[in-house]
Amino acid sequence: MTQAQAGHSQLPQLPATLVARHVTKSFGAVEVLAGVDLWAGPGEVLALLGPSGCGKSTLLRVLAGFEQADDGVVELAGRPVRGPSPERGMVAQAGTLFPWLSLSENLGYGPRQAGRNDVERTVGDLVAATGLSGFEDALPRELSGGMRQRAAIAQVLANRPPVLLLDEPFGALDAQTRLRMHEWFRSLLAERPTTVVLVTHDVDEALLLGDRVGMLSARPCRVVDSVDVDLGDQRGRDTLSDQRFVGLKADVLGRVLSA
Amino acid sequence: MPTSTSSEPVETVGDGGPSIAEVALEPSPDIAADAVTPAGGRRSARSRRRRRALGLVVPVFLLGVWWLCSARGIISTKLLPTPWKVAEAAWDFVAGSRVDSLAGVVPFSGAAPEHLSASILRWLSGYGIAVVVGLTIGLGIGLSRLVADLVDPLVQALRAIPIFAWLPLALVWFGLGEGAARYLVFIGAVSPILIATADSVSRVPASYVETALMLGTRRRALPRRVYLPAALPGIVTGLRLGLTLGWMSVIVGELTGTQTGIGAMMNAAREGGRLDQILVGMLCFAVVGLLGDILLRAASRPFVAWSDR
Repeated sequence: MTQAQAGHSQLPQLPATLVARHVTKSFGAVEVLAGVDLWAGPGEVLALLGPSGCGKSTLLRVLAGFEQADDGVVELAGRPVRGPSPERGMVAQAGTLFPWLSLSENLGYGPRQAGRNDVERTVGDLVAATGLSGFEDALPRELSGGMRQRAAIAQVLANRPPVLLLDEPFGALDAQTRLRMHEWFRSLLAERPTTVVLVTHDVDEALLLGDRVGMLSARPCRVVDSVDVDLGDQRGRDTLSDQRFVGLKADVLGRVLSA
Repeated sequence: MPTSTSSEPVETVGDGGPSIAEVALEPSPDIAADAVTPAGGRRSARSRRRRRALGLVVPVFLLGVWWLCSARGIISTKLLPTPWKVAEAAWDFVAGSRVDSLAGVVPFSGAAPEHLSASILRWLSGYGIAVVVGLTIGLGIGLSRLVADLVDPLVQALRAIPIFAWLPLALVWFGLGEGAARYLVFIGAVSPILIATADSVSRVPASYVETALMLGTRRRALPRRVYLPAALPGIVTGLRLGLTLGWMSVIVGELTGTQTGIGAMMNAAREGGRLDQILVGMLCFAVVGLLGDILLRAASRPFVAWSDR
């Protein structure tokens, strides 16, 4: 067994608990994170709702290990987070595909780095799950925005990460495509239980995807409130007109405005 | 732009529409939105042919003007020989009967293979060294701030020295002939390669590096996995510039006293007052330089096609 294989076999294959305790972060004199406390249980989708510029992306980058917190700790399954790792797959709004690699090469990139011997099967499964069959050899620029975002999510899922971090992944898409992406993403999670932290400023998106919605304050960012989303597992376009959804949305909007 | 067709699944609201799982597994209409189709490929091939044809318009027009001016005697043949005189000289250079010349006299008739191969060999050997040195130092500058701080000011100062200013030093170091010529090609080619590599590597978006690390890439593998492929379009531009500037430097090198090479032939033609032969030499530089660039572009296309606009 190679060193890479040994390293990957030690990764948790099941969704794990992600915890942040009193995380602070400043850039120069600008305080961005002011003691953020949050946790996401195994397999839970935590949607973080906050205004533009509140520090959502910085918070996610700290959780991913791309930025070091000035103070506080981030732990995954009880172990401190230090730097980027295949254990925490992050997808940004602009996507994370390598433009010089084909779709299948992008999806197989992580497994190849880990020295896994199931690369082709993993890629095949993910291509089917993302509805991208027939586009295996296409370059990212040859795919539409929705296809690219699905591929970017599949790229990080290929590493079977216990935690998925999504930074407004569907924010650049039109409303119709975004709704389709929400339905696709929920079906994907049903097949591959994963702990997810999703940041967004779209209340509908937070309620359609989240098991729990955390509300963030304006900068400096803190988690100021939290609401459980009890809308069942089968959520899609019909949910938008569900009375429970409408009531919950009004409640969340009220809390966001007073945050 | 192709649009979705009736054969694709249509998502409907309520009964009769596909389930969430079906939506997940079936290609959705947005899939076809920007897809590349054979028709699109044919259109871009037609567009390429049209652009190439357009590139011939101005040279053909200028040739016509030259022809007309020569035929009507508007331009003195002492200043510019007629096109047919240049064509005759070119034919003589390529297919003329080779006459053994006296020692020290640069041959012309039938000497094209000898002169062209000598120039191209000097060009490629000097260029090869420039590629190795330019890529190595350029990568170092692009990847390491310390290396950039140490080396970059010197590189910027050296590249401001004109190629002709290197000529006396080249003659002292390498003597008359071959070594000096190759050294000058190296000097001409190395700067654009080095600078394009350093610049392209330093501009690789941090998001690519972060993604690679997140997907399990080891830091020591980043240059090969991320920096080089991401910077390759810019590096290829530097390689093309270096190839052309190296080729332009060949003539400077061949002024150092070589007996073969297009530059040596042109120098001999100048001493003999043969403007037609000088123009044949210029034509050789233009054609070989153009062919070199076309070959390099074709060889690099599979690696940089992703960045085509």
